[in-house]
Amino acid sequence: MSVRVEGVSKRFGAVQALADVSLEVRDAEMVALLGPSGCGKTTLLRMIAGLELPDAGRVVIDEAEVTRVPARRRNTGMVFQSYALFPNLTVRDNIGFPLEVRGRPAPDVRARTDELLELLQLTAQGDRYPNQLSGGQQQRAALGRALAPSPAVLLLDEPLSALDALVRSTLRDEIRRVQQQLRITALYVTHDQSEAMAIADRVAVMQHGRIEQIAAPSELYDRPATRFAATFVGSRNAAELAVVDGRVRLGSAFEVTVPAGTTRAVAFFRPEDVELVREGPPIGDSSGSSGVSSGPAAGQPATIEVRLFLGATTRFDLATEVDGGIARLSADIPTRDAAGLDVGARVRFRVAPGLVQVFPVEPGGGA
Amino acid sequence: MSAVWRLARPLVQAGTAAYLLLPILAIVLFSLATRWTSSILPSGYTLDHWTAAFGDPRLVAAFARSIGLALGAAVLDAVLVVPAVYWSRVRNPRIRTVLQVSAAIPFALPYLVIAFGILTLYGGNPITAQLNNTLPELLLAHTAICFPFMYWAVDAAMSAAGIERLAEAAETCGASPAQTIRRVIVPNILPGLVSGGILVFATSFGEFAVVQVLIGGSFETVPLWQADALYSTNPRFDELAASAVATFGLLFVLSAIVVAADRRWAARFRRGGVTAAPPIVETGAAIAESPTQIADSPT
Repeated sequence: MSVRVEGVSKRFGAVQALADVSLEVRDAEMVALLGPSGCGKTTLLRMIAGLELPDAGRVVIDEAEVTRVPARRRNTGMVFQSYALFPNLTVRDNIGFPLEVRGRPAPDVRARTDELLELLQLTAQGDRYPNQLSGGQQQRAALGRALAPSPAVLLLDEPLSALDALVRSTLRDEIRRVQQQLRITALYVTHDQSEAMAIADRVAVMQHGRIEQIAAPSELYDRPATRFAATFVGSRNAAELAVVDGRVRLGSAFEVTVPAGTTRAVAFFRPEDVELVREGPPIGDSSGSSGVSSGPAAGQPATIEVRLFLGATTRFDLATEVDGGIARLSADIPTRDAAGLDVGARVRFRVAPGLVQVFPVEPGGGA
Repeated sequence: MSAVWRLARPLVQAGTAAYLLLPILAIVLFSLATRWTSSILPSGYTLDHWTAAFGDPRLVAAFARSIGLALGAAVLDAVLVVPAVYWSRVRNPRIRTVLQVSAAIPFALPYLVIAFGILTLYGGNPITAQLNNTLPELLLAHTAICFPFMYWAVDAAMSAAGIERLAEAAETCGASPAQTIRRVIVPNILPGLVSGGILVFATSFGEFAVVQVLIGGSFETVPLWQADALYSTNPRFDELAASAVATFGLLFVLSAIVVAADRRWAARFRRGGVTAAPPIVETGAAIAESPTQIADSPT
């Protein structure tokens, strides 16, 4: 079952929460709404749930318009950031609640509840009250309650942000497993880009009440369509550069063509795309394809200021002198190639022009 | 300072306890005394005053009326206040101001003034005038003057239970407002609701002026019986003391039940749950701001 919003707008006083937003979530697809606080992602989710009315536009669930239909008559299941489990009901009764209020016969309620308790590995906790559960178990119970009536769409409002890191990644995977197993259409709100990338089929990046880009995670990561998407998704180096002869260049690290008429541009490149070249005689046998090469001077000279061990990779914060100023950037190198690259060492770096994304800077716009 | 306080605290506590408990103890002793005039303690003890008081069918009937009236006011207040506060919190916050002002009026005006106001109000219309000096009018009047106690208790309980979020969760589960109130809201505000009910009960039970003005002796409640026992040509101080102790005992037992029930309720539901929203871990925000700004880049 699909969900569609068409040209919805919403204003709260002076704040434009949503501005002419359109989005379609296809059958059995999980779309993540990703953006910073106040970008309108939760408002959009609540609008689909029926907890907010749009000022303009339509909400369509399973080909039926529900824009003015109250929340309780929409076939949606919602998981809240704060769980919002009913403290007076056991886990079993919480999960059975949506079925009971719909007047389903008790044996059906019991069978469905048992099925969900098993699916969510909560069978042992069925008779406990929410306050007797861990955060992760509470959120699983909340997921069970949302899934109980087999909703047309599952809406998740930052479901993991109240949990600690370990539980968060486990539960993230479990939500994805359940969503794929049940083939349920789902919309997932988060401000955590790694969470959005990991869990969703497509990610919609939102800012100022608009969707900036909607794309598969890999496409969004490799080819952000807007400057904001490039800023928000992935950990990128950003450099605002002057355009000279239709091109921008960062010393001798890279040189990229920019669209005609641009006077200033911001160039984004990922730390893992920065290639380091050692100065001096060659060390080791690195190929240079993914990190460190050595040999004759090539690229822009820089000094290692910080070295951070990140496991498989090591991050180097570099300082380089460009046109009389000091520029700083990060480079991620496979740890196995990072031996001998210590703080204070002189290196050269370069970035393949194809891996640099350039967006024009509008007058008055910030990075 | 703290050393002084450590020494003074038991004295302050003992003084407060004595201030609160001695008058009650005196009435209890008085109700049991054969004779108590010039000695520190009564010269003898008897249950005669208790048997005389509760052998009086008038006092027994007055107790029954007072309990009925107080229960009626408590139930009516609960039925009126819970949906109103729910609506003001979940759907229409603007009516909160109206509710809050209404809840202040009974504190701002003497009950006597309110009673005469009610008489005037009802008398101004031929239909409502028929209600003047009747039990329904008295019940409505007590419901009105006791409403603030229920309002503040229920409002605080709803705030503590985070009912806005629970109501939204119930709504997305498909529950109607009535189902939400019955299955979710009331069970989660029960201690507040019962506390409010006890306050309403106690206020209505002990209220004299409104009963006297609106209905008088035709519906004799315990305070009216007590006033009569006090001011009659042949005052019955001993029986008055017995009835006062019985009234106090009734309200004390009710309060103790509420406190005990609240503790059990809290132990069962309150730890964790939805009322304490867990802290939000802003992991994504850090990543969002992570593009490494290249300072002093060429211009």
